[in-house]
Amino acid sequence: MFDPAVLAQILWTGLATSSYMVLFTIAFSLVLKVMKLWNFAQAGMMAIAFYAMYAAVNRFAWPTAAAVVFGLAVTLAATLAFEIWGLRTLRARRSSSLLFFIFTLVCSEFAAYVLTLVFGTEPVTLFPEILSPVRVIGQIAVSDWDLLGVGVTLALGIALALYLRFSRDGQFVLAVSDNAELAELYGIDAKRVYLVAFSIATVFVCAGMYLYGSRTAVIPTAPLQLMLFAVIATLLGGMGSVLGGALAAVGLSLLQSYSVLFIPSQWQGLILYVFLFVTILFFPGGVRRGFKAA
Amino acid sequence: MEYVYSILILVGIYVVLASSFNLIIGTAGLVSIAHPIFFALGAYTSGLLAIHFGLNPIAGTLAGAAVAGVFSLMISLPSLRVSGDYLLITSIGFQLGLLQVIKNLELTGSQGGLSNIPTPIAGPERGWIFSLVALAAGAATVLLIRWIVRGPYGRAISAMRDDELAFVALGRDATRIKIVIFAVGSALAGIAGGIYAFYFQYLSPEQFEILASGTMLTMVVVGGMGSTWGPVVGAVLLLALPQAITFLRLPLSYMAPLQGMIFTLLVILFLFLRPQGLVAPEAPAPLRHKKQ
Repeated sequence: MFDPAVLAQILWTGLATSSYMVLFTIAFSLVLKVMKLWNFAQAGMMAIAFYAMYAAVNRFAWPTAAAVVFGLAVTLAATLAFEIWGLRTLRARRSSSLLFFIFTLVCSEFAAYVLTLVFGTEPVTLFPEILSPVRVIGQIAVSDWDLLGVGVTLALGIALALYLRFSRDGQFVLAVSDNAELAELYGIDAKRVYLVAFSIATVFVCAGMYLYGSRTAVIPTAPLQLMLFAVIATLLGGMGSVLGGALAAVGLSLLQSYSVLFIPSQWQGLILYVFLFVTILFFPGGVRRGFKAA
Repeated sequence: MEYVYSILILVGIYVVLASSFNLIIGTAGLVSIAHPIFFALGAYTSGLLAIHFGLNPIAGTLAGAAVAGVFSLMISLPSLRVSGDYLLITSIGFQLGLLQVIKNLELTGSQGGLSNIPTPIAGPERGWIFSLVALAAGAATVLLIRWIVRGPYGRAISAMRDDELAFVALGRDATRIKIVIFAVGSALAGIAGGIYAFYFQYLSPEQFEILASGTMLTMVVVGGMGSTWGPVVGAVLLLALPQAITFLRLPLSYMAPLQGMIFTLLVILFLFLRPQGLVAPEAPAPLRHKKQ
């Protein structure tokens, strides 16, 4: 059971599997950092992204690149509509966090019901073939999908870091996330920054759903469960830290992968909820800050 | 006629659920959405006790309520430490974690659900007797909550909700109120679970997922959060409205998502057009001074 080759294989597979989880977590934690919003509508965004790409590939027979662009365009339109006609109104009314929560959750549910009506509840994958070619490196089996997942996640993560660090718009995003009212006093348009944050989140969500949907079957309500993983990773990583969230997502994925060695697979899901409970009660500011405070 | 009885029974059950949920979330302002898990605890406890020990429905339902009340400590104790968004997310973790346990235990029927729950009444009178019980439970819940909210304890709950710091500074015990509110609300949900289990005789873990939280939230928001009669109106309306499209005789695969769309669209419309819901919260009852 503790053969180094097996442990290394679990490590690699866990890392590759964490790729889409990292993308979802970055999207979730970026919106939370910039807008102070627990965006449960992300599950709806994820479902829309997947089914738009699925329709493009399987119903319109478009090439993959066109399907991805189509998925991105449809999700972006839905997300910006959600921000402009939904969240702005609630913000203008200074609605309570409960109303924001209800609105975001209900939007996700609405998207799931519409997609169920259109596509049914049959689990579907993005492509008919979900197995990708595998090569053995050392003693580890590495699939094309693994390389794509890790590569896309690294590329998007680095691009986001560079954008936030070196671009003018990126600096505006950071300023608004620090203090929106003060940023507005300095002439930064917070509403525009919110749209930028949502647009970036949409790119990460689409990339994540492409990776997830090309390997696993999806039903319209599945993204809700996936998004909860992002919520837990965001909490663990610390709410102000997108990088912390991403690292927590990797850690949680590895923990779930290695837990196969100790507990039956059907109980793996419970680990996440135990982590969520413990994190909120003992490290509400994230694990790193919790230890610092201690 | 059985169809009408089943709707009436669901109305009674959902009046209990929406009203008790409103007590926690609307009256006390404790942002937890784990209410369906207390419904599940009540249902599974009474169902299991009936299957394995042949316990009578009244004792089984009360046992279910007691178990739900005790388990509510797992939400009310965190609420002493965290609030707002954190409490909400804790409640989601609690609900889904416990459901994960229910889904994996052989005792609870695992993913396949718990079936063969014995029915206490057989024959043609079963429908109307259960309707009567469910509607009576709904009415009793509303009256109990109205009594709590309109009395001095209700004023203390509102004061705690509006400004907990000031409330504690005045020497009042917010901890006790939170624990009691969660216990009462959850035990009522447990009673609804017992009635559900004995009438429908089958429980599936899927029916207590986060979508069930959305349904209960919808009833409270559309009816009017914080008002006594709002959740009643919300429950009746949202159970009656989807029935209207059953007469369109659409295939089941269209019916369920269409009903869901109606549910969610209603909530979105209400959030923007009438955020206070159909029944606005009542003004607090004036204090009565004793005559000298």
